[in-house]
Amino acid sequence: MEDFKLKFYTNFIAESRWRYITEGLSTTFIVTICAAVLGVALGFLVAVIRSTADRTGPKKGAVMTCADAVCRFYLTVIRGTPTMIQLLIMYYIVFTSPDISKRFVAILAFGINSGAYVAEIVRSGIMSVDGGQLEAGRSLGLSYIQTMTHIIIPQAFRNILPALANEFITLLKETSICGYIALTDITHGANVIRSQTYEPLMPLLAAALIYLILVSLLSMGVTKLERKLSC
Amino acid sequence: MKKFLSAVAAITLMLSLAACGSKTTPNSVFSVDDLPGKVIGVQLGTTGDIYASDYEEEGSVIERYNKGADAVQALKQGKVDCVIIDEQPAKAFVEKNSDLMILDEDFALEEYAICLSKDNKQLTDSINKALTELKSEGVIDQIIRNYIGDDTKGTCPYVSPDGVDRSNGTLTMATNAAFEPYEFYSNQEIVGIDAEMAQALCDKLGYELKIEDMEFDAIINAVTSGKADMGVAGMTITEDRLLSVDFSEPYTTATQVIIVRK
Repeated sequence: MEDFKLKFYTNFIAESRWRYITEGLSTTFIVTICAAVLGVALGFLVAVIRSTADRTGPKKGAVMTCADAVCRFYLTVIRGTPTMIQLLIMYYIVFTSPDISKRFVAILAFGINSGAYVAEIVRSGIMSVDGGQLEAGRSLGLSYIQTMTHIIIPQAFRNILPALANEFITLLKETSICGYIALTDITHGANVIRSQTYEPLMPLLAAALIYLILVSLLSMGVTKLERKLSC
Repeated sequence: MKKFLSAVAAITLMLSLAACGSKTTPNSVFSVDDLPGKVIGVQLGTTGDIYASDYEEEGSVIERYNKGADAVQALKQGKVDCVIIDEQPAKAFVEKNSDLMILDEDFALEEYAICLSKDNKQLTDSINKALTELKSEGVIDQIIRNYIGDDTKGTCPYVSPDGVDRSNGTLTMATNAAFEPYEFYSNQEIVGIDAEMAQALCDKLGYELKIEDMEFDAIINAVTSGKADMGVAGMTITEDRLLSVDFSEPYTTATQVIIVRK
């Protein structure tokens, strides 16, 4: 027990090392939330374009064909390369400018990455809604976009909620690679403490515990939302 | 065809993004006195990190990268103002990047040693004995000369004697092979002063050498947990490290230097 106390002291209290963890927590939190928002926005956009193009078939216009091709390219590239490499490319190749905020780079990299996965989840949701719903909406005089936003997407959203929650959990944990661009997230914070105290147990367990709590909170929120939507 | 066109369009877009914003800020670090308040790049867990951390109280921001090379890359792009790193790797970096230079004044003098588990005093003793022998036979000097020094580089590699008895088993060495000339990859193999010295040690002690490449900040954990028998990675003896591991006798000295943009 004395040993435990001493280890706790050197790892977290001495030299205010806990600040690496709290700073990391705020970074992880901000990056995850903003990336999730960006990912959802991108994902919905791409999913609507993709499923519209699929539905209209070969006689879609030139604009739609082009947009569809861009979306397909985006999905192929982003889902076909590791997130870590995307993050490194974003930081060292795309944004070479000196005063770029690392959090911004991370948000962009993770958001664009997550968007690809969200897009496919949303597309599966849109496809799960019966085609008759679209026809009904259209014959009632709603425009295509109105039908989508008022009839199809709300139903799709309920179906994809568990898959979306899964994606956010993955996203949250994926931010643990922020250390590669020297951005202090929870994992990097724990690594910094570990490099100063040479004591792997405490910092790593603390980091794991924080992730676990964050994911549990997220899951709880989603369960509540699910209950609300299942009328 | 349209798919191809959009691919080309996307790539051009990315490249044009990459091209913009590449002008870097001029150098603002000219001596150690300029360090307070600056953004200092280091490799996580190195002595450079330890020294730089002292400036945190004076308003400096320390950026801790997983690799020294990443810190140097950030320096080139102006994301940090300077990088504190060991002299020899610094020279290797500056040689490959004409836009960087090393400040004349040395930042700190230190001694490299092998780190070993506190639970295996016997190994520590035998390594110390072998190190002393290698030093007096001139082998250590020979290995260092083979990697450092413009006119001696590559002229005197260490060669294992024939018929070494390796019946004592395998000795696992943990290192971070991104630290030229101490340890680095050449033709898919880890070479360098530390690698050759470890081979010489194993030849003396009758072990087979196995080198494990890992992140620098993981080396001490690997040694304390027994995943590796020794850590040989241009590692400086520090008070903090002595709390977790033992060190052999030092085998060479080195200095910390500051790299800046020209």
